[in-house]
Amino acid sequence: MKDDNQPVQLSLGISLKDEATFENFYAGSNEGNVQVVNELKRIATQGTVTPPAEHMVIYGRRGCGLTHLLQAFCRLAHLSGGCAQYLPMRDLRGYSAAELCQGMEHMSLVCVDAFELLAGDDEWEQALFHLYNNLRDLGHTLVIASHTAPAALPIGLADLKSRVLGSVIYSVSALDDDDKQVALITRAKARGMQLPEEVARYIITRASRDTNVLFDLLDRLDDASLQQQKKLTVPFVKDVLSF
Amino acid sequence: MLWITALYRSRIRGYIKRYDACIHTIHSVLVIIDKMFFHLIRTAGVVSLPNSIWDNCVSYLQGELPAQQFNTWIRPLRTESGDDDSSLILIAPNRFVLDWVNDKYKERIQDIINEQAQVSGEKKSVEIVAAARGASAFQADTRNPAPESNRADSNFTPSSAPDTDNNGNGGSIDSPRPDTVSSGPERGQTDTQPIPDNFDIPAIGDSRHGGRANNSFSNSGNSMSQLSVGKGFGSSNDISLSEHADSTNFDSANRRGGNRGNSRVSKTDVEGGLEHKSNLNSSFTFDNFVVGKSNQLGLAAATQVAENPGGSYNPLFIYGGVGLGKTHLMHAVGNALSEKIVDSKIVYLHSERFVADMVKALQLNAINDFKRYYRSVNALLIDDIQFFAGKERSQEEFFHTFNALLEGGQQIIVTSDRYPKEIDGLEERLKSRFGWGLTVAIEPPELETRVAILKRKADQASVYLPNDAAFFIAQRIRSNVRELEGALKRVIANSHFTNREISVELVRESLKDLLALQDRLVSIDNIQRIVAEYYKIKISDLHSKRRSRSVARPRQVAMYLAKDLTHHSLPEIGEVFGGRDHTTVLHACRKIKELLESDADIREDVKNLLRTLTT
Repeated sequence: MKDDNQPVQLSLGISLKDEATFENFYAGSNEGNVQVVNELKRIATQGTVTPPAEHMVIYGRRGCGLTHLLQAFCRLAHLSGGCAQYLPMRDLRGYSAAELCQGMEHMSLVCVDAFELLAGDDEWEQALFHLYNNLRDLGHTLVIASHTAPAALPIGLADLKSRVLGSVIYSVSALDDDDKQVALITRAKARGMQLPEEVARYIITRASRDTNVLFDLLDRLDDASLQQQKKLTVPFVKDVLSF
Repeated sequence: MLWITALYRSRIRGYIKRYDACIHTIHSVLVIIDKMFFHLIRTAGVVSLPNSIWDNCVSYLQGELPAQQFNTWIRPLRTESGDDDSSLILIAPNRFVLDWVNDKYKERIQDIINEQAQVSGEKKSVEIVAAARGASAFQADTRNPAPESNRADSNFTPSSAPDTDNNGNGGSIDSPRPDTVSSGPERGQTDTQPIPDNFDIPAIGDSRHGGRANNSFSNSGNSMSQLSVGKGFGSSNDISLSEHADSTNFDSANRRGGNRGNSRVSKTDVEGGLEHKSNLNSSFTFDNFVVGKSNQLGLAAATQVAENPGGSYNPLFIYGGVGLGKTHLMHAVGNALSEKIVDSKIVYLHSERFVADMVKALQLNAINDFKRYYRSVNALLIDDIQFFAGKERSQEEFFHTFNALLEGGQQIIVTSDRYPKEIDGLEERLKSRFGWGLTVAIEPPELETRVAILKRKADQASVYLPNDAAFFIAQRIRSNVRELEGALKRVIANSHFTNREISVELVRESLKDLLALQDRLVSIDNIQRIVAEYYKIKISDLHSKRRSRSVARPRQVAMYLAKDLTHHSLPEIGEVFGGRDHTTVLHACRKIKELLESDADIREDVKNLLRTLTT
């Protein structure tokens, strides 16, 4: 164990940020996920949902990658010359819905992340209902991500509920543990880390299998491996993550 | 290279000192430098443009901020050079974002710009503004032109917008102007009339205009009799002001609407400085309205109104649940009237827009413009009137507009989700007036109509939808037409993606996503309870050390489900099953996986348990 008083070499503040892209979204062998990726890519580059529809909903369990997909979507939209606004409800739901949504319809693409947090909130439901209509009127697109299946969302405003359910709805499947292992290795590689398979398996069988948590562990491992200048091995990981 | 060196000097120096850092750190930096080179090359040659300065700044911020913050606050900003070229103007989508960025990021943005200035010599001060939206239809008054609005919109319209022109729809939307400015000899005379600065027509459509019978719907001639606004159909007396040609309608981005087959007809008509923007959706017509028992009354009434606007069915009040086609009927009337009568001024809007416009008018001290705008239409179509509830000032204004239009013989169509008398928070006098004309209900479509709707929609999309597949969808989506259409769109998307014809099987697969209530995470407690109940054992048996088959198998099944349905780590799962090791959990999961292949009973058990747990 390290001595607390021993000076610690800090890692540089420029570790490679593995920006969320469609390329580094690991869809596994799931055809449905591939379809979601295809559709989002198409909307980001062309601006419309096919077949002609107004808005799109993606949903799936926590950790299935909805936020990653929306981030990748915004990135691609901007690279394609579009104009995407990302609205993460985890951070924004405490603010005035009307003020936040005002004028947002002029963005060509609007993404609402963690939509399930708004269901049942009158003010937000009304603001999103109007945003939905205004975006549609301008020919712009709304992409909603929810961790609850749309049909199970406790939306109070019937007008909004029917619009959400009338959107083109896709589910995103969570990866199984084998796929998560591959995803973890791929993600580590994108950060310039070598994560051997046995170490990845070691992590998966001991850590929470929520991909958000797993990827956060990579941050800790990255930092620790830089500081201690050690490769990622089972004993090292065991020590750092206190398994 | 100089640029990079200056900006990353300190970091690179850090690197030299830490030359013994492990290989992948160096690799990381190389990739970053690589990216910077790429960026430099990409922006080479245009370094003097504000966009490249901003692009560089964005690259920095992207590296510094968490992705979510970056996508929420930084990415949506657009740039514009200041008039004197010494400032970089960033345009935020609205005031909320503006305040947020000012508060949290402006300082850092200015720092980065300053750092860059040390290399490029281009010193710029950063100014952040909110996108100015003309925001109100009534503001066509060019006494206060709003160039900012134009500027902002053009910035917020993606450069991919030209793709809308490719299908031939986009272009037509953008070209109403020639109609409005082209004029016959008489109009030419009118155009030369001096327009007083304070051109304002109060109380248009009030009783003084009651004698405008020749301007009402009954008159489809083209007589030009008086210089006045608020005339009925057929009047061609438009006061066209040349400078109005540049007046900005707040949602220029509307033009993009044309590319999805449900284009909004942004037909405008300049009158007394007013541009009447119809907002009609050209895809909502009588032709593609599928009639059934549930909506035939509504269709009959709407058709009547289209044939005889301003007649006895005035106002036409259409009510019914969500997604049943009220808006469709309303637009259909509007489109029919537009086609039938030249220079008609038909305005469709959601009640929320009416309220927003009025608030804006009050803020800008332009309530007269507002009145003038809404009282000078030939037909006013207001959707979802129930959103007027509790908004007394809007109701008051709408009441007067309503009276003015009715007296002038102009058609009013209103929709609501319920019968007028049942709308809470709506003034009695409005409720009673809504009853003056004809009130019709639209009911949810019955099965046969739902099937017919699906077949028609599939036809429109040039997709073959077999009867059994249509029935399959129609039996499962019963609530409303909007959801029915959403379901069909999902099926068609799936058919395109998999390159398969639509069949019941394909529909079943496609609608799994739509109908699913599951995909919720469940707790281990819940799993243990349900499994214990299912196998008729005690929960404590699952925690116990007993290894008899009657207890061990359910325990393994429960562990398997816990692994499948929760994010808990395997050691955590082992812990809540009597303090077992994570290898025991792994073994249990492997065992059940094997049995799922070979043992029909286990397969059935797991299937039943999954269904119970996830629905």
